[in-house]
Parts: sequence; C-alpha cells; structure tokens
Amino acid sequence: MADISSPSDAIMAAAASGLRAQQSRMRVIAENMANSDSVSKTAGGDPYRRQVAVFTPVMLAGGIQGVAMSRIAADTKPFPIQYQPGHPAADAKGNVKLPNVDPLMEAMDMRDAQRAYEANLNVIDTDKAMQTSLIQLLQK
Amino acid sequence: MTLDDIPLFSALKGRLGYLSERQRVISENVANSDTPGYRPRDLKPFTIKASSGPDAGGAIALAATSAGQMIGGAGGSQPQSSAGYTPQVTPDSETRLDGNQVVLEEEMMKLTDARMSYDAAIGFYQKSLSMLQLAIRAPGKPV
Repeated sequence: MADISSPSDAIMAAAASGLRAQQSRMRVIAENMANSDSVSKTAGGDPYRRQVAVFTPVMLAGGIQGVAMSRIAADTKPFPIQYQPGHPAADAKGNVKLPNVDPLMEAMDMRDAQRAYEANLNVIDTDKAMQTSLIQLLQK
Repeated sequence: MTLDDIPLFSALKGRLGYLSERQRVISENVANSDTPGYRPRDLKPFTIKASSGPDAGGAIALAATSAGQMIGGAGGSQPQSSAGYTPQVTPDSETRLDGNQVVLEEEMMKLTDARMSYDAAIGFYQKSLSMLQLAIRAPGKPV
C-alpha cells in the first residue's frame, strides 16, 4: 500500500524532474559563459572546451517517466585560432587557441532552457488548479 | 448502491480518471522536451465504452430491449481504474535534429485542453450532486 501514489503526485514528480534537469543545464551554460575567454595555462595547450548537457528519460518511482541530465558531453567543434605572438598561451608560431564557446549559441540555449523550465512550472500550476477544483467539491 | 451505480456518476468518474492520467502523460512529455530521441505519448480519446469495462472493448454491455427490463450484472458498470489507460506514441508536428519530437506549444495546448475538460467534468459532477440533493430533500422543506 505504501507505494500507491495519486496521479497528482506523479505529475508533480515528472515536472520536478524536468525543473531539476533544466536547472543543471543552466549550470552548464553558466560554466560555458564564464569560461568563454579561458585559454590554456601552458603555451600551445588546449583552451576551455564547451560543454553540452545531455538528457535522458529515467523511470521514477511508480513508473513515471521523468528526465535527468545523464552526462555532460564535450563539444567537439574545433577551437578558433588567433594570431597573438605575445600571448602566454601562444604556441611556437604565435597562434593562440581560443575556447569554442559561442556566446550567441549559449544565449539561445539559455532561452531554450528557460522556456522548458516555464513549461514545467506551468504543468505544476495546472495540476494544482485541477486539484483545487476537485477539493472544492467538498465545500458545496 | 453507491454513487458509481448511477451511470452518469460512473461516466464522470471515468472521465476524471482519464483526464488526470492524460495530464500525467503530458507532464512526462514536457519534462522530456529536450531529451534527444524522445517521442511524446498521449492517450486515445476518451470514450464512455472504453471507461465502462475493466478490459476496454472486450466487455459486452447488456442493452435493455423493453421498458420492464432491469440491467444488473456484477461490476458491469464499474469504471476502469485510471491505471488502465495505455499511453501511445503520438509525435507532435515537428521533429528536431536530435530526434526529439516534443513541441512545447502543442503540449501546452493539450495541457490546457485537459484542464478545461477536467473543470467541465467537475462542474457537471457538482450539478448532478445538487440534483440528487434536490431529489432527496424532504418534501415541503426549503432548499
């Protein structure tokens, strides 16, 4: 009897997993934004590599299909190269590898995450309104 | 004799169960709106017939052929439990490059649709209850 949950609990659990996943994604985006100018510490080395959050469906308790950030993958896009001979991270030819972070792309990704977050909040709001109207049956 | 023996209440109960189950499926779709390769699911449209038997479609209901007949039957009109609906893959209008087929706008439409239908069913339930109350009121007593 213990693990029987109401449909409302199931909806909340799925939406909450969505909120959590989008929040983790926002964290990855923030890391990318913060490191959009982080070059290598050593001369000729690789700079910061852009990270991408990967989501996967997970089965929550009670057979609910939620979502979770399964891993953080590295973006394989090549690094842009800039000629800056005096730079501490420059290689023998004077080229510096810059991070493959595109602020515009991160901004778009952030919008996407925000929109998905709002959609999950919307689900919670709707469910709450439905439960309220159900409970109001008792007041009549 | 319970409220469920009244076909109207039984149907409304089935409808409410169906709608909250649908809401659950939509919430899963919204949660997975950025999962690569995810295909959204939905329930088949609600029918009274599907909600009126434990195994939808398989149960044969008795029909009254003359006014004097009484339709009985053990559990014949029991509404299906909400867990009995099986979600089916129903892709939205677009597929993204990563194989995800959830379109948030369409899921929001479905969500609102389910909510409005739920409110309508609740309202109907309420009206039916007050109709019953009217019927069981002692004669001559004010409402």
